[in-house]
Amino acid sequence: MDDFEAFLDDGGIVEADDDMPDAYREAVFRFIELHANSELMGGLTEREWIPRTPGLRHKMAVLAKTQDEIGHGHLLYMVAADLGCKTRPDMLEDLFAGNSRFHNVFHYRAKTWGDQVAIAFLVDAAALATQQAVFKNCSYGPYKRILRRIIAEEGFHMRFGEERMLRIAEGTDIQRAMFQQSIDDWWWPALQLFGPDSKPDDKLLRWHIKSERNEVLRDRWVQKFVPLLHGYGFTIPDPGLAFDQEADRWMVGSIDWEPLKRTLRQGGPDSARRISEAAANWADTRWVRDALERVSRRREAA
Amino acid sequence: MTITDPGVSEYLLCFADDEHLMGQQHTEWIGVAPFLEEDLAFASIGQDELGHAAALYALLVGDDDRAIDDLALRRDAADYRSCHLVEVDTGDWVQALVRHWLYDAAESLRWQVFADSAVTGLAGTAARAQREEVFHRRHADALLDALLSVPESASRLDTAFRHLLPVALGIFEPVEGETVALEAGVASESIAGLRPAWQELVVARFGPVDWHSITPPDQAGRRLRSADFAVRYARMREVNDLDPAAVW
Repeated sequence: MDDFEAFLDDGGIVEADDDMPDAYREAVFRFIELHANSELMGGLTEREWIPRTPGLRHKMAVLAKTQDEIGHGHLLYMVAADLGCKTRPDMLEDLFAGNSRFHNVFHYRAKTWGDQVAIAFLVDAAALATQQAVFKNCSYGPYKRILRRIIAEEGFHMRFGEERMLRIAEGTDIQRAMFQQSIDDWWWPALQLFGPDSKPDDKLLRWHIKSERNEVLRDRWVQKFVPLLHGYGFTIPDPGLAFDQEADRWMVGSIDWEPLKRTLRQGGPDSARRISEAAANWADTRWVRDALERVSRRREAA
Repeated sequence: MTITDPGVSEYLLCFADDEHLMGQQHTEWIGVAPFLEEDLAFASIGQDELGHAAALYALLVGDDDRAIDDLALRRDAADYRSCHLVEVDTGDWVQALVRHWLYDAAESLRWQVFADSAVTGLAGTAARAQREEVFHRRHADALLDALLSVPESASRLDTAFRHLLPVALGIFEPVEGETVALEAGVASESIAGLRPAWQELVVARFGPVDWHSITPPDQAGRRLRSADFAVRYARMREVNDLDPAAVW
């Protein structure tokens, strides 16, 4: 392990077929599986609002974004499967059985169009920040290459979210009230997406899977979004939020991590419905996968 | 020519509404198709159909998003001219797949009649759409080739096919304004005139059909909405209806 860590510290890149310590393989796999699951469950969160998109070409753009998310999931599952820990079908079965994790934000329901925009604006920005930090110094080659593409697409999504947020911010009282409610509902989940402060011995940092500590990324996001939202006249649901003149920074109040912990146990506000619907749908369409599998086996035999 | 005759407008509106509703329906399968590749395939086809709808609406009201959305999303339900095939809830994926095949087989034939259209821009739109339809039809055929070869899935497909075939015949109901459109060189063939070619495709794909025993839905010249339309339409308008003055 010492040699391996020295190799990583020297900027070494690990490929799927390379020898690697089991602990590293397992850690990279879990990280990518979490990312893949989150892309898929994020797509399902957005999906519910696609039919309601208030414009024809607007709908095409919103759909394209969700296609990207599902496509990212698809690519990430392949990268994860190449590590040999689980097959792609096993990962999906585990996800729908509630046995594997996805990001906290996708345990919440998008209840309004404002929520859909808040996700694209606040949540995608948080996700993008974490992905950029991984990409910067990622020691696992296949993941780093996929992240390059994902980050490029997520950048478009964030700008699209900003444009839509602007139209709402400069819009009618009804639009602004809706978006304020979305900020009230999504601010904390989005902030908690970064996770609690990184532990001193965080293996993901040591093995160059992550390159920055959770609290650093979280703070950067806070410094960007607090003035942005205040600038548009919105409030932030954090009574402890204050500007520290000396440090020239926004300081958030104390963070209640209990909601995040609940999502880790699949006990978030919308976890049960989200997982059971995805599972029911997966079960309903099993006959298609089974039939295609039979055809594929028949072709191989012939 | 540009479109000034209300009959020609009405005629093209039928196709535009079909494309719009079909696209809308396809988009609803993202994330819940049988596997990830299919999520993306249905969504891509939905994108194309929505794009065709936007192009056709643009011919009627100009290429302006607000005008297109007024036409696409802010009409009374009674003013839609969609056929019932694109309005019905399929509920399950097997019906969505069969409908995809039935609709796209007809759609390819429908675009062909605009190859030399007198309407400025329509022949080009039709040519682009036809290139996309090749892929849509290939997608539906590839799935059907495989799934019809396994008895269990073939039987599900057959049930869906028997259920949807009468509804699909509604595509070919003559529409208002068609006579004017044909006289003006907008299209080279009536919609009813395309039915024999479509029936041949259907038989080649699904086997013999006793066409005399099948009754198309009562669409009253496409003026009557199907039972499933209202719910979907309310969903499509939900955000716009919150505040008519809002720009999203």
